[in-house]
Amino acid sequence: MRHVPDEELHPYLDQALSRSQCVEIETHLAQCAPCRDRRDTIAALRDRTTALLGQLTPRNLIIPPPFEALAERLSRRPVTPLWQIRLKRAGLWAAGVMAAVGTGWVGRSVLDPHPDQSTAVQEGLAPLASAVELGSVAAPINDLPVSAPSADQVSTTPLPLPEAAPRQELRLASAAHRSTIIPAPMLQLASALTPMPERSGDVALSTRLEGSTPFGPLWQQVQWEDALEKAGSGLPYIEGMLVIGVLLRPGEGGERPTSLVAQQDPSGELVLSIEGPLTKVMEIVKSQGAPEIHASEWTRTPPDYVPAPGGTTRRINRVLTVTGRLSADSLNVLARLATIR
Amino acid sequence: MEDLERLYKTHYAAVVRFLYRKIWDADRAEDLAQEVFIRAMAHQPDKPRAWIFAVAANLARDEARAAIRRRKHLVLLKDDPVPLSTPEPSAEEAVEHDERWAQVTGALAALTERDREVLLLWDAGLSYPEIAAQTGLAVGAVGTTLARARKRLTEAYDRTEYQADAARS
Repeated sequence: MRHVPDEELHPYLDQALSRSQCVEIETHLAQCAPCRDRRDTIAALRDRTTALLGQLTPRNLIIPPPFEALAERLSRRPVTPLWQIRLKRAGLWAAGVMAAVGTGWVGRSVLDPHPDQSTAVQEGLAPLASAVELGSVAAPINDLPVSAPSADQVSTTPLPLPEAAPRQELRLASAAHRSTIIPAPMLQLASALTPMPERSGDVALSTRLEGSTPFGPLWQQVQWEDALEKAGSGLPYIEGMLVIGVLLRPGEGGERPTSLVAQQDPSGELVLSIEGPLTKVMEIVKSQGAPEIHASEWTRTPPDYVPAPGGTTRRINRVLTVTGRLSADSLNVLARLATIR
Repeated sequence: MEDLERLYKTHYAAVVRFLYRKIWDADRAEDLAQEVFIRAMAHQPDKPRAWIFAVAANLARDEARAAIRRRKHLVLLKDDPVPLSTPEPSAEEAVEHDERWAQVTGALAALTERDREVLLLWDAGLSYPEIAAQTGLAVGAVGTTLARARKRLTEAYDRTEYQADAARS
């Protein structure tokens, strides 16, 4: 005959067991004197505990204030809108992500202050640097010597930032001095801007690296001010991050251009903010087939209204997404921080 | 809202006691208990009783942290005054009450945090599933924890009482 353990007698006395369990225990207790004694002991222990805790009462008589008084106090409180609470949480989350990423970046540079530039890196950099003339690159933490390009090598002016931010400009006009610059951003750009699907008049990156832009002739590498002018209200960027480059693809049939702004986060990761008609943005995201590249959720941006047959107008939905080698959650936060200029 | 009002009338004292046993300040316990019910009014929780005690526990924790920051003593001192209701007890009764009160608080402080939490929640009237939900224990483990907590509380109380008797003699 199995005796009832103490661990079951406590919930039994607290009426925390099912009816069938209680019946089982009571049946046993009816025929087991030792278990009855233990039940009585535990019941006394339980009562004594209640009595002891009963002495820890702030007042012998606790009278609640009228319920209406609490309701009135609640009504006097300022109501914080839900969006403010969410924005605050998102900001804190983003700050945490940035702090973690920054710590990782600093740690990496401390552990490996002079990373080797492998042959593969050089090879990966060379074609892109000739294909994409990047306006500016974030200064690496460890300042490596940069050879100054000659006047004829520098063909463009540095890409201005949307907001003034401390930076060091490195010119990448020719392959002559590429090897002196830490190539992380460009290498990431090369891998992040993976080929577009082949279409008429639009050629994959792999076959167009020697051309003017990585996305083919329809895409144009433009300066920030030009991009602002051409893209109208659709140039996306994330404040506080260095702008590496801007690519625009003209719209069709009255659409505004599709724009791609490449920026660098503090850890050196490249983040692409892409804004344009939904179908085109989807194409670009799908073309970034690398598994480590993620995209944020879509954010709706102002639509295009284009002329349609019959003298009517057609609405083209536009979206913004942020892609990069970060987690989808991080990208979602960045997408919320993204500003449309 | 009517359910909440009913819950307020039936559970306000239990919430005050629960908070008081964590922060040892009668006035503050009442303030926090009212804050708990105000928040309940604003949130309209599905399971108000469990929600109220969960929020009370969080507020008590925040209060304890704030008190530490203010370098206040949270551990009960024997000389702490105990608020008493009318009628005023005699001086002898008051001394005896204070002494017993200090012994019980000492015994409660001797428990582990989890045992203490489960014991206080049970004493506040929460069911086993509600205690389990709040503490993260399995429902089956609540009984075991309670059994241990009750035993340790009475043992610790007996020990302090024995020491007090020895000191007196």
